[in-house]
Amino acid sequence: MTELHPSTPTAPSRRTTLRAAAGGTLLLGLGLTGCRSAVAEAEAPATGAAGPKRGGTLTVAVNTDFTPALLFAQSGQSLQHRLIYNTLTRYDDRLEPRPELATSWEYAPDGRALTLKLRTGVVFHDGRPFTADDVVFAVKNLQNPVRAAQLRSTAAAVTGFEKRGDHELTLRLAHPVNNLFDLFEFMIITDRNSVEDAVAGKRLNGTGPFRLASWRPGTGLSLTRNEKYWQPDRPHLDGVELRVIPQADALVSSLRTGQSQLSYAVPGRNLSTVTAVPELSVTQYDTGGGASYLGVNTSVDPLGDKTVRQALAWAVDRERVLSQVLGGYGLASATPWPKSSPAFTEAGRTHYRHDPGKARELLRSAGHTRLDLPLLHVNLPGETALAEAVQYDLKQIGVHVTLEPTDAATAQKRLISQTMPALWAMGHSFSQVQPSTLAVSAYPFNAAKNTSRFRSETYSRTVREAWTSRATGAEANALRQRVTDTLLDEAFIIDLVIRGSVQVASKKLHGATLNKFSYLNLDDAYLAA
Amino acid sequence: MRGLLLRKLPSALLVLFAASVLVFGVLRLVPGDPAAVLAGPDAGPEVLAAVRARLGLDDPLPVQYLDWIGGLLTGDLGPSYVIGGETADLITDGLGATTELTLGALLFAVLIGGTLGILGATARRPWTRGAVRSLTTAALAVPPYVSGVLLVLLFAVLLGVLPPGGRVPLLTAPDLGVQYLLLPALCLALPSAAVLGRYLEDSLRRALAEDHVRTATAAGIAPRRILWRHALPHALPPVVTLLGIQTGHLLGGAVLVEAIFAWPGLGQLAEQALVRRDYPVVQDLLLLLVAVFVLVQLLSDLVHARLDPRIRWE
Repeated sequence: MTELHPSTPTAPSRRTTLRAAAGGTLLLGLGLTGCRSAVAEAEAPATGAAGPKRGGTLTVAVNTDFTPALLFAQSGQSLQHRLIYNTLTRYDDRLEPRPELATSWEYAPDGRALTLKLRTGVVFHDGRPFTADDVVFAVKNLQNPVRAAQLRSTAAAVTGFEKRGDHELTLRLAHPVNNLFDLFEFMIITDRNSVEDAVAGKRLNGTGPFRLASWRPGTGLSLTRNEKYWQPDRPHLDGVELRVIPQADALVSSLRTGQSQLSYAVPGRNLSTVTAVPELSVTQYDTGGGASYLGVNTSVDPLGDKTVRQALAWAVDRERVLSQVLGGYGLASATPWPKSSPAFTEAGRTHYRHDPGKARELLRSAGHTRLDLPLLHVNLPGETALAEAVQYDLKQIGVHVTLEPTDAATAQKRLISQTMPALWAMGHSFSQVQPSTLAVSAYPFNAAKNTSRFRSETYSRTVREAWTSRATGAEANALRQRVTDTLLDEAFIIDLVIRGSVQVASKKLHGATLNKFSYLNLDDAYLAA
Repeated sequence: MRGLLLRKLPSALLVLFAASVLVFGVLRLVPGDPAAVLAGPDAGPEVLAAVRARLGLDDPLPVQYLDWIGGLLTGDLGPSYVIGGETADLITDGLGATTELTLGALLFAVLIGGTLGILGATARRPWTRGAVRSLTTAALAVPPYVSGVLLVLLFAVLLGVLPPGGRVPLLTAPDLGVQYLLLPALCLALPSAAVLGRYLEDSLRRALAEDHVRTATAAGIAPRRILWRHALPHALPPVVTLLGIQTGHLLGGAVLVEAIFAWPGLGQLAEQALVRRDYPVVQDLLLLLVAVFVLVQLLSDLVHARLDPRIRWE
């Protein structure tokens, strides 16, 4: 083959190349400046003087899309719930209920009835007035197992409804329960006429501060201001976009560039990247994110022996898990309770410290020097890192763990069907509200039937008492302590770290809050110029 | 021709039927089901049973299969179990997004690959050829998950001129849509551009060394005219063939790029549907792929028969 002669003058000259480059740049420049800028569109804040301002669209970056079928469960992404809907009450920082659609309430002396006064002048997005019938429907809706609502057992305790007019309602209870306001914080008030459309994602009709403009699966939700919202002059924002960005690095880029102004989905290991960005602020809440735990199948020999389970609990270095897996955001804890929980005690949190010597000693006292156990975990980066950390710690005491990575769907099925292997590492919720809710609503902790196949009359009795007691003050604390003590002693669920919620927000954003179930509240939120 | 079509059609339908049984069966064999996903990790067995009943998952498998096929035949793909919305809408939206991304990437691949190929074949200075070679090597060697992050860092974080991810459909708002498309399309196009560039460079070198080019040069025809009118048309046919193959690669590569740039295409949809065991979406997507393959195969047979009469009478 003959090589092209170097002197053959077919190459573009330097002038031609420069012309082409200049032309291309000019075209690109004209294209970008002559049109709207996608960057400027995303960053547009409200305009006006200092203080709360009207206007602007807030973009929230989420890593999972809204799942309409999970509208009444806490398993899905639930940030939009309090934007489109309202709840009856909301908790303050001290877990005291505050009015929302219920303005006042009164318990019957025997604790078997609660009378609610409902807010008047509230209308759904379609203009229909909110009445007591909507509350009756909301409770009955959660009693339906198809809705997979975690607080179904509490809803099921409501056995009768007595209406007095459109805005007063008495709920009759089968027995006293002390987590009714957890239910009211959790239960969104949906339009009873279009609930099936809601779970199909076709129509979301609520009384909340924003109306659904569109939902594009995989892309996100667009919400616009509800002009008929019951709170005067609220919300300040014109709209909210929930933008789905599944990949962690892309989500961080979205925040860094100002394309999104708020997210609760930045993984712990990525938080160091955003803390260095001066335009962003990072705030940690100790509630809402759930907890990571090591589950133990008590039907697998020798894990039926609680001494062995306690040995595992002593072996794990929770502080290392916290720093390596969650980037230091969270709380290393042997109990499921965050600091804001009434059941939290420092003694409980540090009940099991990292003590391999003690763990080995306990194992020996149970007659074991070496164990080989499988450990199932969900095959996601954070979950895998946690499982590997546990694997390393257990190896130090002679427990050799074989990791069994699996996908979330399989893990959930095995969890519910009680077919977990000897050990598993997963997360649980519901420790952020009344402690009794965890024991009656989270399946791993369920006294009657749980994944660990753990049964104990003492535990069942303690949980029942803690759930139905009307005690307050020291007596209530003593009951909670009994639940904590049983969990720590039996160690069928070994809590490792409280994950909490980490809010990454633009410093222009003010007034965004989360409720205890991670529903985003933007009633008072605004974007400063 | 009609005879050939009638001969080929039964086997195509048989392939589709076998694929539908296989897709349906294999999905049911995979552990985990959509009911478990919907019930969540805190649900008890009674909730799981209720959700299974609502989805019709406690029906016998043949009944579930016939329901699915019946829906397909009547054009009703039904609702998605987990993701939400209608399956047909999900697939149509995803297909639109992936097509947009692939076409954008194809355009970039042709522009960048064409420029580099011509520059590499015609450059007089060795350093220019070296630079072209280095560029194509880098574009080929750097995987999309690295180039994607670098592109976002440069254009979105440092320069702040393009959005780091997301999508606005081109048909809805072309001016915004183009800006959202630029980075993912460029990221997806880079390896294909490198392959096309190298192939074109080699092909063009050979074309420029042909006798008729030498004759044209000796006849005093302008070099630019020689390149565009005499050499390039000869160099392009094998490159066009390669372009067809690269289009397939672009479609496959789009899955990764969609994740990096939060681009809601078919890849993202398939991943979500599979992870969450959204049976209707996964089944319809896989069967759609098989149907496209069968259709292309059928068309290819017909074209061959058109070109070669012997095939028609086999």
